[in-house]
Amino acid sequence: MEPVLKIEHLTKVYPDGTVALSNTSFDVHPGEFVVVIGSSGAGKSTLLRCINLLVEPTEGDVIFKGEKVNQSKSKQVKHIRREIGMVFQNFNLIDRLSVLNNVLHGRLGYTNTIKGSLGIFNKKDIKEAEAILERVGLKQQKYKRADELSGGQMQRVGISRALAQMPRLILADEPIASLDPASSKNIMDHIYNICQEDQLTAIVNLHQVDVALKYATRIIGMQHGQIIFDGHPSQLSDKVIDEIYDTKKPPLVNAQ
Amino acid sequence: MGEIKDIRKTKRLQTIVILVFVCGLTVWSAIGTDFSFYEVFSGIGLISNFVFLDLLPPDVSASNSLLDAILETLYMGFVGMVIGAGIALVLSFLAASTTTPHPVIQVVVRAFTSIIRNIPGLIWALILVASYGIGVTVGTLSLILGSIGFLTRVFADTLEEIDTGKIEALHATGSNYFQILAQGVFPQFLPGFVAWSLYNLELNIRASTIIGMVGGGGIGFAIQKGIKLFQYKEVSMAIILVLILILSTEFLTSKIRERII
Repeated sequence: MEPVLKIEHLTKVYPDGTVALSNTSFDVHPGEFVVVIGSSGAGKSTLLRCINLLVEPTEGDVIFKGEKVNQSKSKQVKHIRREIGMVFQNFNLIDRLSVLNNVLHGRLGYTNTIKGSLGIFNKKDIKEAEAILERVGLKQQKYKRADELSGGQMQRVGISRALAQMPRLILADEPIASLDPASSKNIMDHIYNICQEDQLTAIVNLHQVDVALKYATRIIGMQHGQIIFDGHPSQLSDKVIDEIYDTKKPPLVNAQ
Repeated sequence: MGEIKDIRKTKRLQTIVILVFVCGLTVWSAIGTDFSFYEVFSGIGLISNFVFLDLLPPDVSASNSLLDAILETLYMGFVGMVIGAGIALVLSFLAASTTTPHPVIQVVVRAFTSIIRNIPGLIWALILVASYGIGVTVGTLSLILGSIGFLTRVFADTLEEIDTGKIEALHATGSNYFQILAQGVFPQFLPGFVAWSLYNLELNIRASTIIGMVGGGGIGFAIQKGIKLFQYKEVSMAIILVLILILSTEFLTSKIRERII
């Protein structure tokens, strides 16, 4: 099967000299649920943001459905972004707008400039957004202001906004890092089940290895901007985990 | 130990130097301005004479004609705020680093509004009187200019403080520049926009009194006229009306601010 996403020799060096990604390559096939693990600063966020060009890669290519994202014109980039839904650690909802309005933001890429700016969406989009909210169990909350919700509810709105885009690919950047354990499980279940039901491909950044092992069909381990593990969860040994998180501590008492 | 003592010594020396410097500067400026306490106290008698005999009691019968002038002042302040806020809204989006279409535009707009802002409303009024003659037009125009200068700056600063993560999220959906400004930036900006505009209204009403004195119309002009014609009891009535106007706008705007934010 043709990969939906190809990452080729991707490198990102920030202006301050930080090398966030160095020569990273991998393919993602349709239906995969890829979890990227690694400690803070390993380059996970940069990797996700290079895929939809929120961060411009220094070198290398991102190829989504056969198109080079990083060499596309700005209008083409917007069209590609419509097909890539993104979920954030801080939810990034517009607090003062209603839940429904926030979900409809997922349709902005399909709406013309004037209507979109004024927040006028067509009936079909509104129906679709309401259906998505029902699916994540927030039908009752649709007219509430986004900042009246709990963290877990906010993240479900975040997921709904991504789904409203009718995406092929979901990128989730530490979607449960700001949530309590119960909400975390709920959110991961939602992301996983929706991807299964709608046959979406997902790349999810996570901190927690146990959560990664539970959901992933494939795990990518990153350290210092490089991929040091890429395989089935069953292949992820404790030794590799130690390596990824750099937890191999030196002995407390030196034998010499 | 020796090092710690040294630091204490230098600190004490610093304090003494600063104290001597400030005292010296004060004495020097006092000599320069011929300031003397004797003169201050000898003036008290004259001041109380002026206040109690000339200003008081205020001429309540003049309040009818003064009411028109005070309404003029209120209109000037309000129109200045509304038009100023409208223009500043557009300029601030160009002047904020988060929303500007191009860094060069940002620098140009910032420089332009900074020039407008740093010329006091009083000077604007004096310049404008020369071309428009005495009247409300001059007062309103100088208040608009003052409002543009002030509001563009504070609006742009507010825009620069908004959460860029939320903007990133809208970029990720494939939204374009104007959609992001209207749907992502503006809702975050709205409370600041309202609060600063209301504060600007207060500033305008205060400023329009002064601007009126140099020919900008309104109550300021009435006060100036009263002083020139030695109608001090009318002047004191006008001052009381100004106080009432300023206090009630302050009260009202703070109530509205509470409601909106």
